[in-house]
Amino acid sequence: MDEQAGSATSFWARIRNPEDRHPFFDQIEKLFKNKTGLAGLIIIAVFSAAAVFAPLISPHDPVENALYDQLKPPVWDEGGAAKNLLGTDDLGRDILSRLIYGARVSLTLGVVSVGLALTLGSLLGAIAGYYKGWLDNLIMRFMDIILAFPHILLAIVIVAYLGPGLTNAMMAIGIINIPRFARIVRASVMDEFGKDYVTAAKAVGATDRRVIFNAILPNCLAPMIVQASLGFGAAILDAAGLSFLGLGAQPPIPEWGAMIAEGRAMILRAWWVMTFPGIAILLGVLGFNLLGDGLRDALDPRLRD
Amino acid sequence: MQNLLDIRHLKTYFSVRGGVLKAVDDVSFTIEPGQTLGLVGESGCGKSVAASTIMGLVPMPPGFVAGGEIVFQGVDLLQLPESKMRKIRGSKISMIFQEPMTSLNPVFTVGDQVAEVIRLHEKLSRAEIRNRVIESFRLVGIPAPESRVKDYPHQMSGGMRQRVMIAMALACSPKLMIADEPTTALDVTIQAQILELMNQLKSETGASILFITHDLGVIAEMAQKVVVMYAGKVMEAAEVTELFGNPKHPYTIGLMSSIPVLGTGKKQKRLSTIAGVVPSLFNLPKGCLFHERCTVAGKECSRVEPPMTDLGNGHIVCCHQLAGC
Repeated sequence: MDEQAGSATSFWARIRNPEDRHPFFDQIEKLFKNKTGLAGLIIIAVFSAAAVFAPLISPHDPVENALYDQLKPPVWDEGGAAKNLLGTDDLGRDILSRLIYGARVSLTLGVVSVGLALTLGSLLGAIAGYYKGWLDNLIMRFMDIILAFPHILLAIVIVAYLGPGLTNAMMAIGIINIPRFARIVRASVMDEFGKDYVTAAKAVGATDRRVIFNAILPNCLAPMIVQASLGFGAAILDAAGLSFLGLGAQPPIPEWGAMIAEGRAMILRAWWVMTFPGIAILLGVLGFNLLGDGLRDALDPRLRD
Repeated sequence: MQNLLDIRHLKTYFSVRGGVLKAVDDVSFTIEPGQTLGLVGESGCGKSVAASTIMGLVPMPPGFVAGGEIVFQGVDLLQLPESKMRKIRGSKISMIFQEPMTSLNPVFTVGDQVAEVIRLHEKLSRAEIRNRVIESFRLVGIPAPESRVKDYPHQMSGGMRQRVMIAMALACSPKLMIADEPTTALDVTIQAQILELMNQLKSETGASILFITHDLGVIAEMAQKVVVMYAGKVMEAAEVTELFGNPKHPYTIGLMSSIPVLGTGKKQKRLSTIAGVVPSLFNLPKGCLFHERCTVAGKECSRVEPPMTDLGNGHIVCCHQLAGC
């Protein structure tokens, strides 16, 4: 603490000096220079801001019914009013407000399910990659079994078993995404395993656990980050799918997939009820995929110029 | 004097497809406290495997210890459970690796990595650990240690990284340091600095060093005792002056004469080499392992494995043709 001021200046000096700075900052710079990656980052930043500041920026309560304002079209359409910029649904709820609160639901869901998949997946993958042998076989064959099921079908089975609801949907999506992370972490752990610093870590008396988590895993972060970003998009899409089928978010939670499901009966009368949540899902997934690709370009040493 | 390390008839084998590789076969040597033992040999002669076996770092399977003892401070390390062995690694026996470029973890600062060693073996507060780290950096001659501890490995030169490795090896005041070709990856001036540093630290801390190299010049500078290995076996062992002044084994003599001599005129001559290549561990020759390349090999060399002959004063040779030398 005594030298905080000193270290703060040297921190910025180091970032400005390309010779001396941490490679992390080179990668950040590379991500910013990548136009599609930056676009993804901006989309996600906008969605995250919407999620965080939802109560401040949404014009209405997302679950408040307004029976006199049922199925109002968006403002630019005939009969639309500035009061409901993107129109209302059959219960008179403001679509824009529901979309903004929906960002909250989708991002939370992404964080929880990707967090679950990432934690369990990297744990299993790291163990498999480090110990190899029968343990590796056991874990990876189990992962293969999970992968053998059609993605959404397995999620439906798990939700059907746990019971419908947002929390259980998150669990299901987390579980079906475990193999993604397990595979990628296993491959990187095996790659790092033979390197000298791993032997060096063992030679100073570190336990296996320490070697795996303190020495090897931090070196496998790059592919994990990329996969997590891509997984976010997939998780949002899967959750929307589950909610559309009525197995995910239950009314009146403003989840995008559930909104589409609620609006599908009115597609001919009120196109806006299901179009806007659809666009929101599209943009959200696109944002995470673009960011994931951008991160891959920035972090993958093989693609470095 | 009580030996610090006493290796008796150590056999480290690897079971692979197509048979068993005898990477270290019946190797014995001892290290006294404060002594530097040089382990010399060509690539693949088993010197690094011997070191890994002492540390208990041979991957098993495919490796296994087929026999022998590694007695360190009176305890056979091969009988110790992994948890006890872990306490010895890094604190009582530490290791310096060949490649300072790759043996430091790229994602942590060098200070953190040295701190990690201390944290693993001693219960100290963060401030105490920090001081110890800075102290150890100063000890190995890293300038401005207070700011260098915050550097990442890629920000340091090869020589500086090797100093960090040495600081790491010294962090818990080990009794034995195993240096596996610590200067091979460094250029000559840095190499000289590192060797001088190791010698100086050894005399300051009283630690023993097991110095593994293929460079006889380095051995002459560092070691008190030398063990020459060939294809997993000990060919000759002696005090350093004895070995360089009076080499007995044809292999040792061959190695000595393969060192280029600087000079012009009369001193300049064609560099002699040892004919042939190291035999494959899959297909070792019968009798003496060296006889196919030996200049003085006789009939019995290709049939009977030569015995260890003790010439007195710790000079041991494994050869049939001693009379001829």
